[in-house]
Amino acid sequence: MRMDLGTLRKKRAARDPRILVTGAAGFLGSHFAVALLEAGYRVTAVARPAKKLGAQARIDQLADWFALEEEARRRLTVVEGDILDPAWAAGQAQAGRFDEIVHCASSTAFSERKRAEVEATNIDGLENVLDFAARSGCGFFHHISTAYVAGKRSGPCAEEWVEAGPFTNVYEETKARGELLAREVCRAGGIRLNVYRPTIVYGDSRTGRTLRFNALYYPVKAAVYLRDIYIADIRERGGRKAAELGIRLAEDGGLVMPIRIEVAREGGINLVPVDHCVRAFMALFEDGLEGGIYHIANPRATRIEDIIGYGKRHFRFEGIEPCGPESFAGRPKNALEILYDSYLEVYRPYMQDERRFEATNAAPILEKHGLVCPAFDYGIFSRCMAYAVDVDWGSKLFP
Amino acid sequence: MPQIVPEARTLAAQCRHYAMCKIDYLATGLCPSGPEKHFVTFYPQGRMDLYRGLAEGRIPVTEALLDAADTCTMCGICDAQCHFVTGMQPTTVMRALKDYVETFRRDEGEVVRPVEDEALRKLRAIAGRDWASNDPAVLWTYADDPFPLAGPQTPRCVVLPGSRDEVAAIVRLAGELGLAIAIRGNGGSVFGFVFTDGIVLDMARMRGIVFDLDNWTAAVEPGVTSFELQQEAFRRGLRVNAAEPAATVCGNLVCTGTFSTWSNVYGTAADNFVDMEFVGRDGRVFRLNEKAGPNHYAFEHRVAPSPGICTKAFVRLHPATDDEEGLLVPFTDLDAAVQFARELGQRRIGLAVAVLGAHYIAGFLSPDEDLARRLKEALPEALGVNYVVFAIADRFARDAIRKMAPAVIDAGLLRTLMLGLPRLLEPRWLELAREYEGGPPFELLCRPEMRPLVEAALLPSPETIAGAVPEGLRPFYRELYARPEMTDMVWLNMHRIVSARMSRRKHMFAFLVYVPPARLDVLHEILDGFARVAEAHRIDHDFGFLTPMDFGKRAILEYDYYIDHTDPSEKEKIARAMPELDPWLDTLAARIPGVLSLKYVFSQGCARKESFLYRV
Repeated sequence: MRMDLGTLRKKRAARDPRILVTGAAGFLGSHFAVALLEAGYRVTAVARPAKKLGAQARIDQLADWFALEEEARRRLTVVEGDILDPAWAAGQAQAGRFDEIVHCASSTAFSERKRAEVEATNIDGLENVLDFAARSGCGFFHHISTAYVAGKRSGPCAEEWVEAGPFTNVYEETKARGELLAREVCRAGGIRLNVYRPTIVYGDSRTGRTLRFNALYYPVKAAVYLRDIYIADIRERGGRKAAELGIRLAEDGGLVMPIRIEVAREGGINLVPVDHCVRAFMALFEDGLEGGIYHIANPRATRIEDIIGYGKRHFRFEGIEPCGPESFAGRPKNALEILYDSYLEVYRPYMQDERRFEATNAAPILEKHGLVCPAFDYGIFSRCMAYAVDVDWGSKLFP
Repeated sequence: MPQIVPEARTLAAQCRHYAMCKIDYLATGLCPSGPEKHFVTFYPQGRMDLYRGLAEGRIPVTEALLDAADTCTMCGICDAQCHFVTGMQPTTVMRALKDYVETFRRDEGEVVRPVEDEALRKLRAIAGRDWASNDPAVLWTYADDPFPLAGPQTPRCVVLPGSRDEVAAIVRLAGELGLAIAIRGNGGSVFGFVFTDGIVLDMARMRGIVFDLDNWTAAVEPGVTSFELQQEAFRRGLRVNAAEPAATVCGNLVCTGTFSTWSNVYGTAADNFVDMEFVGRDGRVFRLNEKAGPNHYAFEHRVAPSPGICTKAFVRLHPATDDEEGLLVPFTDLDAAVQFARELGQRRIGLAVAVLGAHYIAGFLSPDEDLARRLKEALPEALGVNYVVFAIADRFARDAIRKMAPAVIDAGLLRTLMLGLPRLLEPRWLELAREYEGGPPFELLCRPEMRPLVEAALLPSPETIAGAVPEGLRPFYRELYARPEMTDMVWLNMHRIVSARMSRRKHMFAFLVYVPPARLDVLHEILDGFARVAEAHRIDHDFGFLTPMDFGKRAILEYDYYIDHTDPSEKEKIARAMPELDPWLDTLAARIPGVLSLKYVFSQGCARKESFLYRV
């Protein structure tokens, strides 16, 4: 190993290691970078410029969103760069050494039509970062992966390397390939490697705050947009379009939107709130010094019927009903049902998930820190959705 | 001292000379003085030039300039006509020109009155006193166009002949006086061919169209535009293969041989006419079908002169059926789109066919540049549409296409998308589409069951689309889009009025190349070549369109460069780029059968297409 345990412990204790975080303007990247800063570490954040903002401005904006203390900000350095650019590694290597790298940059797209983009980020980008790690004298590589590298299977999934598929989609496939790439380079270079595998991460369970409104949020957001359309149609245009789909106002002022959502009898969705994910990551980062694979999962999956129920209650929707495939035999799907069905089709492996993510490696550390993943209940759902609506599903995140 | 208004000066310089103010394509009526006076000087385009000429100190105040300013009634028709295709509103310039003239008169400025010289006297003797001029203001409006590589060239006189015999007499007179001649149709020459220091013949007075339905032809005089001929054919339930709407039929036939998306079935060049009448360079009148006449059906692989001045074309008429509709087949990949279009050609399915890029589609559908820019981004990013195959098809062909394609935007959906465009481009919908993790979002959009939802979300209506244009023009656009033809792809494509929007953002250089569409490697070599040269010189560029021809064996490909013709640095860029393109295309043409730059067809548009599409 390039960095022996003693040196690592010493550096950590002195809050001395120079840590590079990739994808620092992203969802998990920003949360982990802030957690490291708040724990007293020095962090260099790599971020791409966005359309209208440079990397520094993006990170500053995020630091404000996190209300990061001034003292912590002084330990933050921002580097503008794109890990997809092969010249980036060479350029960074000249810029200086990093003791540890937390690699968060990733594409979470599932769709086959986005394969090129997903492969570029999750494979080519990772290769560039690993190349940089090998060159820059990095001693510890923290690779943010996903529990879904487990691929198409049911039952227990161990915290072990996944050598082959089958996989549900390009995301799972590239993340699994990425883990093996990281293993290969780190083994060859004597770099310590931690692989963190969260499941589906959503907002903060206590505040509802989040930076991303995909996955869990998407179907709810779509339902809210549809509600707005049909309420306007009913109130402003006589409701002809609404009537075509059997949509009407309910007596309590809510909206009756008849949508049958096909759900399986078994399984559920594994949801981890970002606050737990961050605390778990920090505990594993601090204590998992030997290198290893760690699941960050919820021991209790949430049933889709429950989420539909939360949505109906929070947004005062009526008519959205979970059902089995037999319901569609007599009456074909309408436009709203087709819309939901086509979207949920790609999420179905996660919605009716029968995989159980074991935590042999993670559990002892998380227990030591007293960390228990909260169950996804109505209170959390409600807080998360209230925040989402408050910031208009992300468009008003920043002032 | 009259002052130049900077805003008006800038706007005047942006006139692209597309002459859309010279045809009544939106049924608004025309600028009243234009059809009366016929000189371009008395159309909005001419007045834009006059103001630019005054601003640049190129012209004095003349009698014709005063007349042009005075005959503008400030009716605002040009605002509607020009905004529809360019986004500009010329009345700012018209107002400034009138104000200039008013101050000039108040200051008692000296009006220039040119002396009638021998040439003008003789031209007036031939064409009539009112139809020839050497007024510097009139000459200025025939001296320039946005082609940045040819400077202004002021003619000695401009004459508007009224008949074939007058044309012949003018040609003979020019010969006697040793003056060069240039023929001006109705549009702007994008390559500077219509300028001379001799005599300009503006054919605007020769506007006869005579239909001979038994022989499926229309005899067309050289001042008739493509739009006017198509409009007349359409009234009779017929169709012609038409050029850009403001281009004259005869001029376009002679110059490029007239191609369009309809060339898929109607062909090009000599396919478009039954016979043509010319006045030769010696003043002699001849027909192409004369056995003893010169053979202009043959093609020479070099830049060759035109047969002469076309004074009549007997244009072929084609039947139309009442069940034709337009549709778009979206694709994420160019190769798949080209193969699909070629297959339609091979299988003789559909009438007009073309592969269009996101840039064209966005430009065509959007009545506003900002909307077009956003749509161009949204099509690939949010909807997964990088290309579409556009087709006009009868009900049988539509059935076939639906069986061949996974998703089809039919006439009804396209109408919904056009009239609901501002709402389609609302960030919330685009974000939903972007984040959609299923197949290409357009596949979902195209499903017939989704139609009620799409309509509820987009609220397609003339009001919705009119909301995208400046407030003052909204009432006009509301009425315009209430007319069914404005969302009818068959009508729009036949009359080609939305394709004029391509140059809304910047002046366009269209490079046209005949290609063998089965050779995707060659196609990519050509596209990459155009892109490479453009990138090297930092010129905006984009794929234009590709239309199969002759059963999909050949195709015509357009690739476009965009420059601001009023910016000297942009002129330099294009001047540096052009010499790189010609030798590259020539080498490619020599190597690959079926590749031919359209520049070699220029002036040989009467040739049989087989004589330039195939080399034996």
